[in-house]
Amino acid sequence: MIENKKAYLQISFGWLFAIIVGITIIFLAIYFVVKVINLEETAHSAKTSQEVGILLNPLETSFESAVTSSFTFPEETQIHNRCDNYSNFGLQRIEVRQKDFNKWVETNIEAQFQNKYIFSEKYIQGRTFYIFSKPFKFPFKIADLIYLTPASKNYCFVNAPTDIEDELEDLNQPNLRIREGCSEDDILVCFNYGNCDIFVNYNAKRVEKNNKEVYFEGDALMYAAIFSDKEIYECQLQRLMKRNLQLSSLYMNKANYLAIKGCSPVLNPYLAQLINSLSNFENSEELYFLRSLVQEIDNKNVGKCRLW
Amino acid sequence: MVNKSNRGQMKTKKLKISSLHRPKNNRGQMKIQQTAFMLIAVTVLFVLVGLFFLVIRFGSLKDSATILEEDNARLLVNKLASSPEFSCGNAFGTSKVNCIDADKIMALKGNINVYSNFWRISNIEIRKIYPISQSEIECDFANYPECNIITLKEAENSGYTVSNFVALCRKESNNENIYDKCELAKLIVSYESAK
Repeated sequence: MIENKKAYLQISFGWLFAIIVGITIIFLAIYFVVKVINLEETAHSAKTSQEVGILLNPLETSFESAVTSSFTFPEETQIHNRCDNYSNFGLQRIEVRQKDFNKWVETNIEAQFQNKYIFSEKYIQGRTFYIFSKPFKFPFKIADLIYLTPASKNYCFVNAPTDIEDELEDLNQPNLRIREGCSEDDILVCFNYGNCDIFVNYNAKRVEKNNKEVYFEGDALMYAAIFSDKEIYECQLQRLMKRNLQLSSLYMNKANYLAIKGCSPVLNPYLAQLINSLSNFENSEELYFLRSLVQEIDNKNVGKCRLW
Repeated sequence: MVNKSNRGQMKTKKLKISSLHRPKNNRGQMKIQQTAFMLIAVTVLFVLVGLFFLVIRFGSLKDSATILEEDNARLLVNKLASSPEFSCGNAFGTSKVNCIDADKIMALKGNINVYSNFWRISNIEIRKIYPISQSEIECDFANYPECNIITLKEAENSGYTVSNFVALCRKESNNENIYDKCELAKLIVSYESAK
């Protein structure tokens, strides 16, 4: 009986070998498939991030007015907006995350651009996104600022100055409304004190949002402060000032060259002063101290020898 | 001594006999070998299929990267003339579309190292096409504006090339009188192809 039982449990070596190797092959196959899926997700995310960046190219124009556009993803998407302010121009970084099996896939693959300035919250989510851009001048054109908002978030501008209202009307971006079209769920942007999510003090050139204050110069930076988090705003502003520094140096060299042709380099001492101030620029509060210098430079850039 | 060696001989004999006269075990060994070879063949097949898939996948990834770079170059050439480092602004009267300030470009040429990776393109060249010139002269600070090619960036490994027609404007002087001079040029950019 005992011998019979032993025989019953006995598995031939051939079977044992086949089972072990079979299991190994199945595990290798599963491992390989998981790796390939991860690779696909990473590649897809990297490609989408890059595409978002490239889609922003046509928004940079030589025109004065704001330009709007939109893009739609095939599925719910998160766009993570990151900013670095090191080196000569800093870095705009974008990471796109999409849902897989109802879970956000984190890939840590970013598209990086030195020549773009995207103002949005740290991360925004949705399928359709609106983008509009506006040139920022200080005193010459520094860059086209890009404002990125999800279609699901509506901003309602209450008591805005007439030129801002006119601009928003001309822009005709569906998620940017002016007082008549506001609903309860909208993010209220007020230009007078009241029960609002964002308060803009147009005279003091200050925006209050999430109990934090930032300062601006010009409408382009005002929109930037409205649509972005304080951290993103301050970082992008520092990047803009770094580019301003390089452009100031470029205009100084141009002025020196034009001096040979008979144009007096009257702007150079002011540009040198601007470069000096910009090299120590830290945050938006310092914009106030640059305002008069920038205004003076702009006033002096006239006549046949104007630099920009 | 005799006993010991005899014992050894007997053992050897026994083994020989068992190996020659047990055909069932031999068939089993053959089966195991067949299974092993089969499994190895299946594994090798899987590996080959996997490698084939990876080669195709990485090939298409490289293609995607190249297509994205192409898109970037194509869209960039249209907006590069509007970038503050290139554009005329209001320096030559009113604001102009696709107008490049040649004086500013020469200043940029002297400072191009700072902008090494700014536009993510490998080559930027501005070629004067009208008035037509017989020879090709690269611009530098000594011969400008008596030249017709301004090379801002140059790389050996350049891929897709795109160009756009632009107005190339500069300030000129004539007997203490300063005036604007604009000529027709081509802005040529190319990106570095994916490796």
